[in-house]
Amino acid sequence: MNKLAAKYLRPSQIPTKACHGCGIGMIENWLLQAIDELGFDQDDVVFGTGIGCVGRQTFATWGGDNFGATHGRALAVATGLKLAQPDKKYLIVVGDGDAASIGTSHLIHAARRNLGVTVICEDNMGYESTGGQFSPTTPSGYVTNSSPYGMVEPPFDPCDVVKAAGATFVAETTATQWHQTVKIVKKALQNDGFSFVHVRFPCNENFGAYALGTRDTLKNLEWIYEHTQGRKADGSPADFTWETGIKHDASNSRPEFSKLLRDLNERVRADLAAKAAATTAKSSS
Amino acid sequence: MATVDPALLPNLVAPWSEWERRATRGRRLLEAGTYALTEGAIAAGCRVFAGYPITPATDIAEYMSKRLPQVGGYYMQAEDELAGMHMCAGASLGGLKAMTATSGPGYTLMHDAYGWALTNEIPLVVVDAMRVGPISGITGAPGQGEFYVARYCTHGGNFETIVLSPSSVQEAFWLTIDAFNLSERFRTPVTILTDQVVSDMWEDLFVPDSTEPLDFVVPRALNLSMPFYPVGSAALDVPPNVIGHGTGVCVSAYTHTEEGYDIEEMEAQWAQTYRLVNKIRHHRAELSRYETLGLGDAEVIAVAYGANARTVKTGVLEARRRGVRAGFIRLITLWPFLDSLFERDARYVVCELNYDGQLVREVMRAAPDKRNVHFMGKSAELHTVAEVATALEGVARSGRVPELPFIWTEV
Amino acid sequence: MAAPASTKTRTEILISGFGGQGVVRMGQILGLCAINQGHRVTMLKSHGTETRGGYVRAQLVISPDEVDSPVVEHADVFVAFSAPAYKKFYDLCDGTIMYDPEMVSDVRHDAGAARHVAVPATQLSKERFSNQLFANMIMLGALTRVAALDRDAMQRAMLAVIPRFHEQNLAALELGYTLPAVV
Repeated sequence: MNKLAAKYLRPSQIPTKACHGCGIGMIENWLLQAIDELGFDQDDVVFGTGIGCVGRQTFATWGGDNFGATHGRALAVATGLKLAQPDKKYLIVVGDGDAASIGTSHLIHAARRNLGVTVICEDNMGYESTGGQFSPTTPSGYVTNSSPYGMVEPPFDPCDVVKAAGATFVAETTATQWHQTVKIVKKALQNDGFSFVHVRFPCNENFGAYALGTRDTLKNLEWIYEHTQGRKADGSPADFTWETGIKHDASNSRPEFSKLLRDLNERVRADLAAKAAATTAKSSS
Repeated sequence: MATVDPALLPNLVAPWSEWERRATRGRRLLEAGTYALTEGAIAAGCRVFAGYPITPATDIAEYMSKRLPQVGGYYMQAEDELAGMHMCAGASLGGLKAMTATSGPGYTLMHDAYGWALTNEIPLVVVDAMRVGPISGITGAPGQGEFYVARYCTHGGNFETIVLSPSSVQEAFWLTIDAFNLSERFRTPVTILTDQVVSDMWEDLFVPDSTEPLDFVVPRALNLSMPFYPVGSAALDVPPNVIGHGTGVCVSAYTHTEEGYDIEEMEAQWAQTYRLVNKIRHHRAELSRYETLGLGDAEVIAVAYGANARTVKTGVLEARRRGVRAGFIRLITLWPFLDSLFERDARYVVCELNYDGQLVREVMRAAPDKRNVHFMGKSAELHTVAEVATALEGVARSGRVPELPFIWTEV
Repeated sequence: MAAPASTKTRTEILISGFGGQGVVRMGQILGLCAINQGHRVTMLKSHGTETRGGYVRAQLVISPDEVDSPVVEHADVFVAFSAPAYKKFYDLCDGTIMYDPEMVSDVRHDAGAARHVAVPATQLSKERFSNQLFANMIMLGALTRVAALDRDAMQRAMLAVIPRFHEQNLAALELGYTLPAVV
C-alpha cells in the first residue's frame, strides 16, 4: 500500500476486487493525491458512489464516511446529505451508467441547483460489470456484447449536458493524464458548487476485448490517448477526437444549493420574528 | 343525546389514546388530512421534506413548503419520486428526520429508495395517499390498492415492513407522530398508507401547542460507534447511523457486515435477514394499533381500514339496530399483520376499496375458517352505510353477501 | 328511508352547485362555526372527477360525538345552487331543500317530498352588491336561520375563514338571515 492509500483508505478493503489492469484504482489514487494536496482529512470528505464497476470497486475503500447508493441515485442521496451536513466535501465517484444513463436526471438537476458536490464520472464506455454492453458514452459503431453489429446509437458528451444544465465547473480528462487530472480535481473540489469531472479509462476485460480486440492495458490506454490527440501513433487521423481539459469554469460564481435553502430559512424566520415582535408591541401599547 | 350501550363503546388500542389525554393545550381547527399529516410530521421533529407533487398528496408538499422554513427545516421539490425518497434517506442519514408523500404512481417509483433505506436501517416516513388504479386510474377517487405493495415495497424479500393507516384527520395527526417514533425506534422506513378521502377530507382537528417538543416524541439519537449494524440481533432502540460525525460509517445497497462492508456469504445474508425480519416480528406487540367494537357477542365482524372504516363502522351500528349481532375491527397497523385479531371463530366481512381483494386474503389466512371470510370490494367510492348493513345482515342470515350494484364478492 | 337510530345525533348537510359559487367556502364556515361551538365535524369536498362532471359538492356531518361515516346519505338540509346538483342529489335529502330559484327552476313537488325553501340568493346578491359573489353568504345566512344555528357564532366563523370584503359578507349573511322566506 502506498503512502496516500495508507493515509486515506481502509486497509481491509484494499486491494479491491477490480480486474487486472483496471483503471479504477489508479484514478482513485489520483483523487487521493488531490485531496492530500488540498490538506483535507478523512473526516472532511464524504465518499459517495453507486452501482457497477466504479461503485463496487470504490465503495468502502475511503477511510471516512461512505455511501453506495442504488443505481443512479448517488446524487439524490448526496442532495439530502448536503442539507444535513453542509460543511463536508462530497466526492461522488460514479460510472457512465450512474452519471450518464440511469441517473442522468439527477445529474442534470444537481447541476441546475448548483449542489455543492464534486462528481467524478469514471467512464469505461459501457456496462462492464454486467459483461460489456454499450452505454450512452460508447462511441458509435463500436462492437460490444449488446451491439454485436456495432453500436447504432449516437453517444453524448456528459460534459455538454451538465454545462447546459448549469454546472459551475466542468472538465474532461482521461486515464492517460495523471497530472492534469489531479490539477483538475483540485480545482473541482475548491468550487463551492456543482463540479463535474469526466475521466475516461480503459476496461480490458470487456470494452478492450470486444470493441478494441485486446486485453492489453497499454494498448487500451494507447487507444484512449490517440483519441485525445485526434491521430494514431502512425500519424493517421483517429475516427473521432475527445476534447480534454477544463471546459467550463465558473467556480464560486453563484450560490450553492443548500446555502440557498438555509438563506430562505433564515429570511422566513426573521420575517416571522419581526411579525411576532410587532404583534407583541401592538398588544402592549 | 342517545345513550350508548357500553358494550358498543369503541376500543382503541393505539398510543395516541393516551397522548390525547396528556396534550390538552392547543388549537381546534377545521382542516384537511393533508394538513394534519404535515403538522403531525412537524410536531414529530421532521425537518426535511423532498417529494414530487401528485394528487391527492400534493397539498402535503405545499403545506411543507410553507411550514418547514418556519421551523428551520428544508423543503425540496425533487425531479421525480426516485430522487425525492433518496433525498429523504440522505437527509436522514445526515441526522435530520425526513418525510416524503406521494400516491400510487409515485410510490411505485420509490421502491428503490425504500429498499435502500430499509436495508441501511435509515429512519424515515413515507405517506402514500392511495387513489383508485391501476396506474393513474381516477386521480381524485379513493382506492386501497397498495395493501400488499406497501408490505413488499421493495424487491428481494428478507424483510418485514411497518405500515400504518389512519381513518380520520385527527388520527392522521397522531399517527404521523407515531410513525416517526416507530421509524426511529425500529430504524426503518414507515409507510403511512392513507387514501384520497382521509387526505382531502376536512375535519375537526386538535393540534397541541408545541413550542417545546412533545414529551412522547422520540428524539433522533446518533450511533457514534461500531457496530453500525447489529447483524443477527432483534434489538430495538439501536441509534441510527449518521454520516458526518467522523464514525467512518458505510452504507450501501449490498448485503453487509457489521462494519457496513459488502459481503457475498450465506452466513452474512442469514444474519442480516435475522436483523431485518426479527426486529419487527419479535416486537409485534409494540406495533399493535387497532380499533374494535361490539366483539363481545359478534357473530359477524366487519373488517376495514382507512377512510371506508368510517362508513363501515356506522354500517355495523346500523346492522345491530336491525338485530344483527355485528362487530367491527378496524386495522390501524396493516403490517406486520395482526393475526391475533382474527382468532375468533366468527364470520368476517372484509370491506376494502378494490375489486381484486387484498386485505381479505390476509384475513382468510389468519381466520380459523377461510370459508367464513367474505369479501365486499368497492372501487372509487366509499362503501355506504346501507350497503354495509345489508351485507352484514345477509351474511348473518344466509351466509353470503347479497348482490349489490358495484360490489364485488369474488376473491 | 328513515335515518338509522345510530346516527340520530348527526346533522347532515349537503351543499352543491357549480365551481366558483363558493360551495366549499360555505361548508368551511359552517363547519368551523360548529367546531367553535364544541361539535365534531366532517366535510367531504368534491374530487376532481365530480368537479368535471358539472357539480361541486360539500358534505358536512355535524355531531356532538365523534362522527363515524362522513358520507351524507340522508341530508337534513340540502342546499342546491344548480339544476344538475338539484337533480342529482334530490333523493339524498329527507329534510329541507334550500334552492336558488335563479339556478333551479324545475322544482319537484312529489308527494312526501322534502320541504322546499326558495332563497333567491344570486338575484339578491346582484341587486344589493352589483355582483353575484355574495350569493353563498346570503344562502348561509338563510341556512343559519332555517337550521336554528347561532347567528353571532356564524358571523365570527365567517370572519375567520374569509380574508376580504368583511363588510359586504356580513351584510349578505344578515340579508339571508332576515329573508321573509326563512323567518
